[in-house]
Amino acid sequence: MSATALLSLERVTKRFGGLTAVREVSVEVRAGDLLGIIGPNGAGKTTLFNVIAGYYRADEGRVVFDGHDITGRPAHAIAGLGLTRTFQIVKPFGNLSVLDNVMIGALTRLASTREARAEAERVIAVCGLGPHAVARARALPLGLRKRLEVARALATRPRLLLLDEVMAGLNPTELGGMIDLVRRLHADGLTLVVIEHIMAAMMRLAQRIVMLHHGEKIAEGTPREIASDRRVIDAYLGEEFVLAEA
Amino acid sequence: MDPARRLGRAQIDVFAQLGVSTILLGGIYALIAVGLTLIFGIMRVVNFAHGEFLMLGMYLGFWAFTLLSMDPWFVLFVSIPLFFGIGVLTYVLVMKGVIHASHNVQIFTTVGLSTALQNTALVLWSGDFHTVRPWHALRPIRMLGTAFNLSQVVAFVIALTLTVLLFAFMRFTHTGRVMRATAQDRDAAILMGIDTDRVYRITFALGIAAVGAAGVLVSPLYAVYPTAGLQFVLLSYVVVVLGGLGDMVGALIGSLIVAAVEVAGSYWFGTAWKEIFYFLLFIGVLVFRPAGLFGQRGAENLGV
Amino acid sequence: MARALARHWGALVVFGAAALVPIVVRDAYFLDSLVLILLWGALSAAWNVAGGYAGQVSIGHASFFGIGAYSAALLGARWQQSPWLGMLVGIALSLAAGAAIGYLSNRLKGPYFALSTIAFSQVLLIVASRWRAFTSGSEGIPVPFRPGFATLGLGHVAWVYLALAVAVLYWGIQVWLEHSRFGYRLAGVREDEDAAQALGIPARRLKVIAVTASAALTSVCGTLWAQYVGFVDPFYVFSVDLSVRFALNTIIGGMGTALGPFLGSILITSLETYLRATLSGVKSGFTGIYLIVYGVVLILVVRFVPDGLAGVAGRLRARRARAHA
Repeated sequence: MSATALLSLERVTKRFGGLTAVREVSVEVRAGDLLGIIGPNGAGKTTLFNVIAGYYRADEGRVVFDGHDITGRPAHAIAGLGLTRTFQIVKPFGNLSVLDNVMIGALTRLASTREARAEAERVIAVCGLGPHAVARARALPLGLRKRLEVARALATRPRLLLLDEVMAGLNPTELGGMIDLVRRLHADGLTLVVIEHIMAAMMRLAQRIVMLHHGEKIAEGTPREIASDRRVIDAYLGEEFVLAEA
Repeated sequence: MDPARRLGRAQIDVFAQLGVSTILLGGIYALIAVGLTLIFGIMRVVNFAHGEFLMLGMYLGFWAFTLLSMDPWFVLFVSIPLFFGIGVLTYVLVMKGVIHASHNVQIFTTVGLSTALQNTALVLWSGDFHTVRPWHALRPIRMLGTAFNLSQVVAFVIALTLTVLLFAFMRFTHTGRVMRATAQDRDAAILMGIDTDRVYRITFALGIAAVGAAGVLVSPLYAVYPTAGLQFVLLSYVVVVLGGLGDMVGALIGSLIVAAVEVAGSYWFGTAWKEIFYFLLFIGVLVFRPAGLFGQRGAENLGV
Repeated sequence: MARALARHWGALVVFGAAALVPIVVRDAYFLDSLVLILLWGALSAAWNVAGGYAGQVSIGHASFFGIGAYSAALLGARWQQSPWLGMLVGIALSLAAGAAIGYLSNRLKGPYFALSTIAFSQVLLIVASRWRAFTSGSEGIPVPFRPGFATLGLGHVAWVYLALAVAVLYWGIQVWLEHSRFGYRLAGVREDEDAAQALGIPARRLKVIAVTASAALTSVCGTLWAQYVGFVDPFYVFSVDLSVRFALNTIIGGMGTALGPFLGSILITSLETYLRATLSGVKSGFTGIYLIVYGVVLILVVRFVPDGLAGVAGRLRARRARAHA
């Protein structure tokens, strides 16, 4: 284990009854990384996020974030350490405005609501949600709800952000915008782990990619290495169209 | 009410008596709970007014007996179609509009219905306790060291028969299969062209018909008054949670467990305190076994 | 200051009017209604803290009302203690019971939480009505009237101002919930617990705090009500109807809004008073009829006006603002 790892998973296993959703996965994320996690549906990607972020307890293995063993700690405590996540199925605070949604994120680090509002306005602008600040979150179209998901997480000033399929379901324009946003965040120094089903987007984005299949890590490398990896191609065989886009 | 107390301990074998009382009571609870679990399992609606339909069934039993000297057993022939109709009407007027609404809306809709029905009974028939005493309620039967009255036995037999009929309906008829399919996956059912509105209407009506029949059957066994349904609704939720939500066999087993707790509780602590055992059991079950005894998808997933 | 006034003009009108009424009106019947409107409003506001702001819908809040009522009544009737002491005892007991219920809210969701709160109030009802040696059982307890502020033996006008003080305090607590860090985070928990946790919000703790606080606030009003009415009947103070009433006022007025519970109380309490006056001659008694109306109103409101009077007012204001823009 390298001393510079911000997050390290050590042989993490998560079972549901007889099904092993994640099996002995070890991954390291260094500060400043933009790591992609890919894999077919049911590969265990979201389960892995849930284990890291404290929503599921790992059956075996350890999760270490910034020197703290966070295995089994409650989700809110992990978020408090600066590791936060978005949800694949977006979970906006539906009856609240976009501004209030993001403010609640900002209040994680800030004690004053006035400062939190200023911070939220800044983050909203960064995420391109400015024109929608007063809209009710539930009234937003999916593309904007995905942005809101990111904005709210960003407002907590995380050191590591887990993005769970923030690009799925977006139209090409929205997709381009989201890729730009993630790149900008990374350029500003944020460490990111990104789950994405769309290989094409991942190839353009990630520095390193981890491939999960049936809960196991079957490959890790640069996008180029991954794209030419036999096992990856086999795993995606039924979904060649996804690769074709790459 | 409890023959074990009326006859004195010397004349009966306590444990046999408790066992038989449990089974008799459990059969009736099953009929109440089966309607609830049916409605819950298929419509995903928690009906807080379930007990009020039981209460209305009890009043039907009472009035038919008092005004027409009609035996509750025969009232069933009227009550089942009548409550089916009431169920359809309630579904169309009240439930249909909130079936896709949030939990809170559903809670308050059925709570509102419960309040309205309870107090309709209060206004129409006053808050007095009424009793129904047909000949069979006064006919003790002694057997193998146990004693109980004929009303209990027949109520048990009829309740069990109706429960089994409902099972058979769900298992063997086309409508029953469609209802179960809808319970498993609402969206898939819609995609397959199932008229879910009709399914819900029938489901609700059947559930109400079952609980109405239970009300008629228990009218000779319990005092009839406007809030009589409350204790039953809570205990039938215990049954449903114990058995696993929407699980009809589980509901049968759950009924026996709840009946056993009640019978043992009232024997050792007195009937005055027996309700407290339902409620403590209820809270205990929800806290410690929200998924039901058989580990089915249960209460904890409900809000998700 | 001007902005605060503009934002809270509704509260200013409601509470201002309540403060002026006793100066102008001396009619005991009218003042009595006013005290009840304010107390029911405050009770609904207390319910709103858990139900509206934290999203933990209880139909067993009569538990805490009854605890408050019994604590003061028993201490007063049996040991001649001041109702203020009884209020403190009630608060302590309600904090404990509220924490237990709050813990349940972390195990149970939606309808199951609601059911467990009903069950809890029924347990208390059974204890209060059957434990004859201590609570006098189903006969209830008369609360001795001893004039003076220390014993809460007050005249109508004094009661109006006491109830008004409590109402304004509870309203203020709700306003604080709308503008404070705690309140924002609690709203997050209400809207989506998982998402709130991802933002570092200790969702479970916040829910317990909100439910516990709501219980204590309810208990205080229970004590006041018992002293005001002078009699504690277990079948009333622990009734499901009472719990429904707290919720009903709030839903009609607007859940999760500061003024909503008071608007709902004005409407429902006036309706009750009106029906009592018109229907008192009816043979079967009036109690049931207004409760039938309650039930029907509840069904209609959650269906057609789910955000209540305050919500409707908000929408009208937004429409007008848009028209001006």
